Amino acid sequence: MRRPLYLKVLRGLALLAIAFWSAFPIALVVMSSFKPARDIFVFPPTWAFAPTLQNYAGLWLRWPDFFRTLGNSLIVTLGATALAVIVSAMAGYVYSRKRNPYLAGSAFFMIFVRLFPPIVVTLPLFPLVNALRLNDTHLILVILYATFFVSMGTMILKAFVDQIPRELDEAAMVDGAGVWSVFWRVILPLSAQGMIAVGVFVFVYAWNEFLFAFIFTTSTAKTAPLVLSEMTGAVDGVEWGVLFAATTVQLVPVLLFVLLAQKYLIAGLTAGATKG
Amino acid sequence: MSALGNPNRLHPMHLAMVVPVQALLIATIFLPSMYVFWLSLNESSFGVAPKFVGLRNYIEVLSDPYFWRAFVNTAIVINIVVYLELALGMAMALLFATGIPFRKTMISIVLAPYAISEVAAVVMWRFMLDPSIGMVSQTLTALGLPTIEWSVVPAHGLAVICALSVWLHLPFTFLILYAARLAIPADLYEAARIDGASPWRQFIHITVPVLMPAILVAVLFRYIFAFRMFSEVWLVTGGGPARSTEVLAVYLYQEAFRYNEFGIASATGWLMVAGSILLAIPYLRSLYKRTLTDA
Repeated sequence: MRRPLYLKVLRGLALLAIAFWSAFPIALVVMSSFKPARDIFVFPPTWAFAPTLQNYAGLWLRWPDFFRTLGNSLIVTLGATALAVIVSAMAGYVYSRKRNPYLAGSAFFMIFVRLFPPIVVTLPLFPLVNALRLNDTHLILVILYATFFVSMGTMILKAFVDQIPRELDEAAMVDGAGVWSVFWRVILPLSAQGMIAVGVFVFVYAWNEFLFAFIFTTSTAKTAPLVLSEMTGAVDGVEWGVLFAATTVQLVPVLLFVLLAQKYLIAGLTAGATKG
Repeated sequence: MSALGNPNRLHPMHLAMVVPVQALLIATIFLPSMYVFWLSLNESSFGVAPKFVGLRNYIEVLSDPYFWRAFVNTAIVINIVVYLELALGMAMALLFATGIPFRKTMISIVLAPYAISEVAAVVMWRFMLDPSIGMVSQTLTALGLPTIEWSVVPAHGLAVICALSVWLHLPFTFLILYAARLAIPADLYEAARIDGASPWRQFIHITVPVLMPAILVAVLFRYIFAFRMFSEVWLVTGGGPARSTEVLAVYLYQEAFRYNEFGIASATGWLMVAGSILLAIPYLRSLYKRTLTDA
């Protein structure tokens, strides 16, 4: 399509503005984490500096706890992702293949219950979790994170299973396969894309989540975002360089993951949100 | 068709495969919420036996000026955030759909904030907006403009919360609208062009009506999620100064975990549940039609 010059320039400027808005805050923090203290506050920000790891060394020395909480984040994230993907795949398969009023009612319930704001359930769960000695454990976060994503996960996987021809199930059943083995040997391998899509959503949510971690963990199972917020709110002034190093360590893995898996993210969003 | 393949025949195994999802939802969301409803009708706190008080907690909440402050703040923030995201997301989706250079790279860049935690985003924005060292404040000062005093002036605090929230969630709105826009067949626009329709008329008569379902999904989802906003506010202003920037979730948290007013917090919780359901009525209606009437 031929466009007049002024329109080309305008479009170029709009794209630059969009890229700047989205990427600048991230680039600034990652870049600043490698700057010596005296360069961090230089205005306008300088892109030419001698990169240093001193902020990372400072993080290691003054916040040794941070790396342990990063481990907690990883355990909780992997646990929640695995749990949510498995249970969503099972339910998504049944909801895709079966028609039954009770089943339909439970599908409605599944989405309806997801409308309840998370802060509401913290009230009764707080004493209950204490009584069950589950506070400050990885398990409670795994359960909470998985629960808040199984509704969307099931809808996404139902949409993916809907695209698998029923003839494949039928053929396996004629060969004598039972419900479980049809699911395990026919459906699961063919819905791998959908499972990855659900996995990306849960992974990003669990890795970044703040509210539940803030309320239900104190030390043993504390996750990385909590340490970041402690560093931000330090009473004796914020050590910006160290905070940038910690922020970079927290955000880079999940950012890479999202960029690598963006194809699945987009597929999942269109399958789950628009149809769910 | 074998008995197992019949869509109307359920094997016990099918039920067993739905149980884990339902059990998680019932045990962690549904039953606790019902208990919150019971709590909202009682006066209770840590270690004190609950005492039935009827609707008194609701009356107390509804006559608390801090609740109304939080309510108004929530209404302001979600309306700004949702419609700003819709306008920007729509403009971006249409621009991207006309064919842009480096499309894949641009989409990756636009998607990036989706991966960022609220906490990390707050670090970025607080650094940029810091009244003394932040580059935004320094730019404003250099231009002779007043700076953003987000920790002192409530309106500034709420503005920062809105900006932060739009930054975090724009990728979601954009992706939904962009995917829907790509699904519109090009011949629709071709035909309109041949009939001499201006770009504006094409937008009003083709793009908007065809995109309407996607627009509704994007707006509804964002309304429901923005309504429960907690972390952004908690980490930027903490609800202060003097509880002036609290939103409903922060108000609830303060009542429950700072003032130990479980009855008040529970009543707030149920008002939030009711609010979410009201916001979701159009969505629930279409969901009901799809899940229950074709069963």
